[in-house]
Amino acid sequence: MKRIFFSLQALAILIGAAGCHDALLNMKPESILTTTNYFRSSSEMNKAVIGIYSNLQARRMTDYIIMDAPSDNLYMSTNTPIAGAVDLDGLTMNTENNVLGNFWESNYAGIYRANQVLLNIDKPKDYAGNAKNQYIGEAKFLRALLYFDMVRTFGGVPLVTAQVSIEEARAQRRASVDEVYNLIIADLKDAVEKLPPAANMEKGRTSKGAATALLGKVYIYRKDYNNAKEVLNKAVNDFGYNLVPNFATLWDPATEDNSETVFAVKYVESVNGQTLSTAFIPNGGVYGIVERGVETALPSWSLNKRYVAGDTRKAKTITDWLVTPTAPNDPPTFYPYVSKYANKHLYNTSGLDLPVMRFAEVLLLQSEALYHSGDKGGALTALNRVRERAFAGTSHNYTATDIANANDFLDKLLLERQLELAFEGDRWYDLVRTGKYLTVMTQEERLYVPANNAAETVTLSPQSYMTVFPIPQRQADQYDPGVMDQNEGYKK
Amino acid sequence: MKGRHLYLFGLLVALAGICSTRPAYAQDAHEIKGIVVDSIGQTPLPGVTIVVKGTSNGAATAPTGEFSIRAASNAVLVVSYIGYDRTEVPVGGRTNIRITLSQSKTMLNETVVIGYGAMKKSSVTAAVTKVENTILDQVPAGRPEAALVGRLAGVNISQNRAQPGQAPTIRIRGASSIDAGNEPLVVIDGVPGGNLGMINMNDVQSIEVLKDASSAAIYGSRAAGGVIIVTMKKGSAGKTRFNFNGFAGISKSRLHDDWMTGQEYYDYAVKFQNREWRWANPNADISIPVWGDARRPATYQVNPVLNNGANVIWQDEVMQTAPMQSYNISASGGTEKMTYYVSGTYKDEIGTMKNTWFKSYGVRANVDVKASKAVSIGFMLNPSYSKRRMTDRVMSDFAKIPSFVEVQRPDGTYPRPKDYWGGPVSSQTSPSAILNGTYSYGATFSNVGEAYLKVDLAKGLSLRSSVGSTIAYNNSDFFQTSYALSNFQNNGNDISTSNINMLNENVLSYNTSFRGGHDLSAIAGASYQKNRSKGSYMYAVPNSFVNETIHTLNNAVIDPTKSYTANSAWGLVSYFSRVHYGYKEKYLLSASIRTDGSSRFGANNKWGYFPSASVAWRIKQEDFMKDLHVVSDLKVRGSWGITGNFNIGDFQYLGQIKDAIYSPNNTPIKGQAQSNFENNDLGWEKTRGWDVGIEIGLLKNRIQIVADYYSKRTYDLLYQVTVPASTGFVSGLSNIGDVSNRGFEIELTTRNILQPDFTWQTNFNLAMNKNRVEDLGGVKERISTDGTTQMSWILRVGEPMFSYYGYRTIGVFNDAASLGKYPSLAGTKPGNPIFEDTNGDGFITPADKQLLGNFQPKAILGMVNNFTYRNFDLSIAMQASLGAKMFTYENQFYQGALLGAMRRSIVANQWWSDSETGDGRMPGSALSTLTRQSGSDIYIEDASFLAVRNINLGYTLPDAAFKRLGINSFRAYLSAGNPFIFTKKGFHGYNPEGSTLGEIGGVNSRPGYNSGSEPISRVYAIGFNFNF
Repeated sequence: MKRIFFSLQALAILIGAAGCHDALLNMKPESILTTTNYFRSSSEMNKAVIGIYSNLQARRMTDYIIMDAPSDNLYMSTNTPIAGAVDLDGLTMNTENNVLGNFWESNYAGIYRANQVLLNIDKPKDYAGNAKNQYIGEAKFLRALLYFDMVRTFGGVPLVTAQVSIEEARAQRRASVDEVYNLIIADLKDAVEKLPPAANMEKGRTSKGAATALLGKVYIYRKDYNNAKEVLNKAVNDFGYNLVPNFATLWDPATEDNSETVFAVKYVESVNGQTLSTAFIPNGGVYGIVERGVETALPSWSLNKRYVAGDTRKAKTITDWLVTPTAPNDPPTFYPYVSKYANKHLYNTSGLDLPVMRFAEVLLLQSEALYHSGDKGGALTALNRVRERAFAGTSHNYTATDIANANDFLDKLLLERQLELAFEGDRWYDLVRTGKYLTVMTQEERLYVPANNAAETVTLSPQSYMTVFPIPQRQADQYDPGVMDQNEGYKK
Repeated sequence: MKGRHLYLFGLLVALAGICSTRPAYAQDAHEIKGIVVDSIGQTPLPGVTIVVKGTSNGAATAPTGEFSIRAASNAVLVVSYIGYDRTEVPVGGRTNIRITLSQSKTMLNETVVIGYGAMKKSSVTAAVTKVENTILDQVPAGRPEAALVGRLAGVNISQNRAQPGQAPTIRIRGASSIDAGNEPLVVIDGVPGGNLGMINMNDVQSIEVLKDASSAAIYGSRAAGGVIIVTMKKGSAGKTRFNFNGFAGISKSRLHDDWMTGQEYYDYAVKFQNREWRWANPNADISIPVWGDARRPATYQVNPVLNNGANVIWQDEVMQTAPMQSYNISASGGTEKMTYYVSGTYKDEIGTMKNTWFKSYGVRANVDVKASKAVSIGFMLNPSYSKRRMTDRVMSDFAKIPSFVEVQRPDGTYPRPKDYWGGPVSSQTSPSAILNGTYSYGATFSNVGEAYLKVDLAKGLSLRSSVGSTIAYNNSDFFQTSYALSNFQNNGNDISTSNINMLNENVLSYNTSFRGGHDLSAIAGASYQKNRSKGSYMYAVPNSFVNETIHTLNNAVIDPTKSYTANSAWGLVSYFSRVHYGYKEKYLLSASIRTDGSSRFGANNKWGYFPSASVAWRIKQEDFMKDLHVVSDLKVRGSWGITGNFNIGDFQYLGQIKDAIYSPNNTPIKGQAQSNFENNDLGWEKTRGWDVGIEIGLLKNRIQIVADYYSKRTYDLLYQVTVPASTGFVSGLSNIGDVSNRGFEIELTTRNILQPDFTWQTNFNLAMNKNRVEDLGGVKERISTDGTTQMSWILRVGEPMFSYYGYRTIGVFNDAASLGKYPSLAGTKPGNPIFEDTNGDGFITPADKQLLGNFQPKAILGMVNNFTYRNFDLSIAMQASLGAKMFTYENQFYQGALLGAMRRSIVANQWWSDSETGDGRMPGSALSTLTRQSGSDIYIEDASFLAVRNINLGYTLPDAAFKRLGINSFRAYLSAGNPFIFTKKGFHGYNPEGSTLGEIGGVNSRPGYNSGSEPISRVYAIGFNFNF
């Protein structure tokens, strides 16, 4: 009996299978590109490069939680809690930190995209002009930038430059800090080589000048001042960068592409906007800016009080008096909020670009390089260029006596970096690379009450191991036993 | 509204008059009345077919068992009914006949529909449960599933959201898949792949559920979630019979009654602000006046407007008492050669939440033709259209608005809390503005259709070949006016999707008997299925609508970065065979094999094999049981089988390249990036299960018991396994992991009282299921933490899927002095909860988190009691769910956050200060301490409940009065949906089955998360059902 059924089944197969079978089982996707049919033309390679920028664009708007909140610039508001952010703010982060986990994962996704461009770069045969070199340069610049953020945040990390299988990835140990920097420097040198100048690039993409400036910044972190000096002098002189006369110009979507832009992440309101502008706005919104805010974080008094009268940067960095959209005619309330990114925008989708590097920072880096390579006069000049713009004149310039010794210089430089680059993602790393966080971060003044003439102050406990943050446990768990070493101080 | 019902009713009565022109009969034909009863219980049998032999003149019995028919005094009546022996009764000059039908051979001899065929229930070797549609179509509910709640053991139907037209979640014997869905396969009259929303309960004959792997395995490929087989009504030979069923009623929500207003609200707002200030600054002097004193930071002030408001309870404002109505008419009949069934239905449900509704229209036609002695053909069509208006918000978005906010100002604007005070109150838009200014519609057109040809090739051998299709077109239109949005940017989109599923099936069936009591039946078949889907997604650029009069996108600018169209497809090829063998109807054996090939899997693993086997022993048929009269039936059975699951998206095994937008030169362009791992080994997720069952009938089947124990294990899970991010991805879809479900079910049917005037029958069922993660591909657990609440859901080997995972609280830190007494998280303040230091290391760390319960109920009970008393009948359906836990995050919105609306039962018991420490469990709850309460068990509540789902009281009018109108039977009924629901003390949600982030759908699922599922509606309806 059984035989009959099997032969019946065979019959059915014969009847139906001939035409149907393969067509039903081996369907091709109509609306989806796949790895098998991509990376075939210069245009597709261009789109793949855009994909790397897209990764950075999504990450950049929450960088402040890692790069500013742990420092004395910013504290997290209770209005919209973000898991893990309060711990970074209070220097109590542990291995479960969600923000660090997201940061780690996002960066590797971007690195993968850059690697894919570099691994497939030879496939297209239709490159016109310098296109191939440009794509290589962009991919390497972005890969270097992502690894730079990784090494500054976590120390040595697994160094991936090829496509790795799951098994290979699980067995890959952390590279040393030096090894990571070696790749960053090699990538940036090649990017400087291959990238065209900014004039030949679309706004929002990198350029030879941007790669040069970033390389200079990396040398500063390496304390390789001679190389830093050489590279940063080029960055200052060779690419036509200049400070804009008015600090506020930098933070207006209408003038966001200007002579000071070295590399900024582009956003377009409503269709490809960022959430940072709204994140810093108080819950009830700000008149003329946005109807309501998310208020994830507020500026600390520690930073606020350091702006002296006459500093034009203050108004475009922190606004003390809040005017709400619902009661614009009422007297303003004292409620300081970060206004650097506050321009009229649609809720949670601002078009204001977020700078990664701008010329003011290049000058401050140059000042640092020059000071440490013996050119104290040059260092002073570079530092004062930034101050002159801030104070609309030379009235607040430093003199040689102000930077009589290295400690003075460091204090002045860090102050200037803090005031100039507040909320741009440098303060925490600056405090760490100079070791200052151990003293500066013992306490933070937060909410100031004018009627009481006092700020509410929190006491913090910075520890020596906090130069790097913990490796996210959820990622460490993915590795073969014993492969992923946790950073000192965070071990269970 | 009432006038309209009467009008409709009148129209139908008029129609009845037109349609029931009586054919001329033999001269001496006269009216014969009678009743058909069961031979054992003498209970009336409804729906029995009676035909005058040799004519097409027929009738059916009413719910009371009564019938009337015109026949000559020497005629013979042929009486037939499913599960009973066909009987011929000579009229013999009588005008009133009592007909007694005997159940065919055994009590359990009703027919059960199984995949690709039907068989006698007594011969079934697997776990199949069945419900007949007697009054299911009289349960007042918008969707058909509601009528089934509590009636099927092991089938959990839960209404997670209560918006009109919302589909419930159906789980058969627990959930087992993480990424590939747990929906049962719905087979409508043989066509697999539809959903219950496509049918009208009035057209349903019966619903069978194939619960165990052996019965479901014949649908191998997609049967891992169980199979629901819907058998639709068909026509039978006889004169045309019309049936009308209609009901109309009102629904009203079950709401909270402890909202605070006025002075009481204000007093707690002051306490709240003082507590917040003290937390921020322990030295704060809270004796400073709450208003108008600059020494108190603006953030911690309280505007007197809070005490001088409109006292609006927003929950009540957004809800309403709403009408519901449903009408259905059908006609069926035919001749020996051809039978038909056609019906039409209309249903209109207004939502209890303002500006929500659901309307549906449907038509159904079934035609079966016996073309020749050997050939039959037929088709069915079931087009239906439904449209709903809904809200994209959850209940807490509305109910949390504080009571000082007016509904509408005289100038027509809708004020927000922020319009009264620029302080720390919500800037969210008014609920009325949201509900009135949001135009969110969903429409679905669907059709299930099939045409077949059946040829009898030889005695016992037939071939059935069919072409079927399931078509669904969905469209959602969405428009929001500027005043409905807090950013005042009008907004809209239009999404159309279509899904066309074509199916060809060819099944050879063979039945034979051999001398000596050997029965054999077998099928072999092939099935080819192709599914094409298409979607068009159009989004407006925010605020681009030129005006707000026209809501379609021709009035706006289309957003180029979001709008797109996409096509997709899948194919499935299947071959299957099943053999059923019985010896003297004592020993029964069944085995099947199915193999499926799917386009969804990688080249290396497209094919899956799904075998099954089952045996049954009908012990009662043995000689040694003959004299044991107390036992009227006894059967034991056991089964084993493998089923599959392929419910992942199309082409998931390929490394897909997707859009990654960036805007060089301020122009958004679509970059491209790989979005998932490539996995050419991706293959079938499989579930292997066994089941043992016993079926017992006692005291002439006055008591019937069916009990089953099952165990199933889902393996090769289609699972997004986590991988190191350095691969470029955080997870990859693979066949990794095992999940098991074990459980016990019992169905008990008792005929408690069987008197001519009074009957009482009880159906009781109980199902217990234990779900367990068995393997996660090497790791012991996987935790997914919700960023805002810090509540985690854990997959841990040995525990149920997606258990809540967080800190267990053991009290509240009452004052500064108590802080040092227990270990705590950094920054702990008085009023924060004390977390249990599970590992006793003196610190609270993530290692101290523990399992806090699970969203799945431990046991589900159902009970239906049916009573008849003379012409009255009463049916009460009840359901109870025990042991499910809910994460009632919604509570947080009503505890004072942003000085929103407050509920006394979760506000008064909080820690407020050193001197007002509350009930010792509820901490000081605020946004500033959010994760301390939401990341712990504070909002984990016991969602056990007992619900009376339906009460249906009917009265069948004595027929004499209606004969002249041509009406055969007339029943009027009162039906109540969800009249009583009892939840546990300490449960605060609106709906004990509520959840707002869905059930299991991927590794980051948040089942049981409830941030404001809508209140359940109670429905009271009156209805009529008559035949003519």
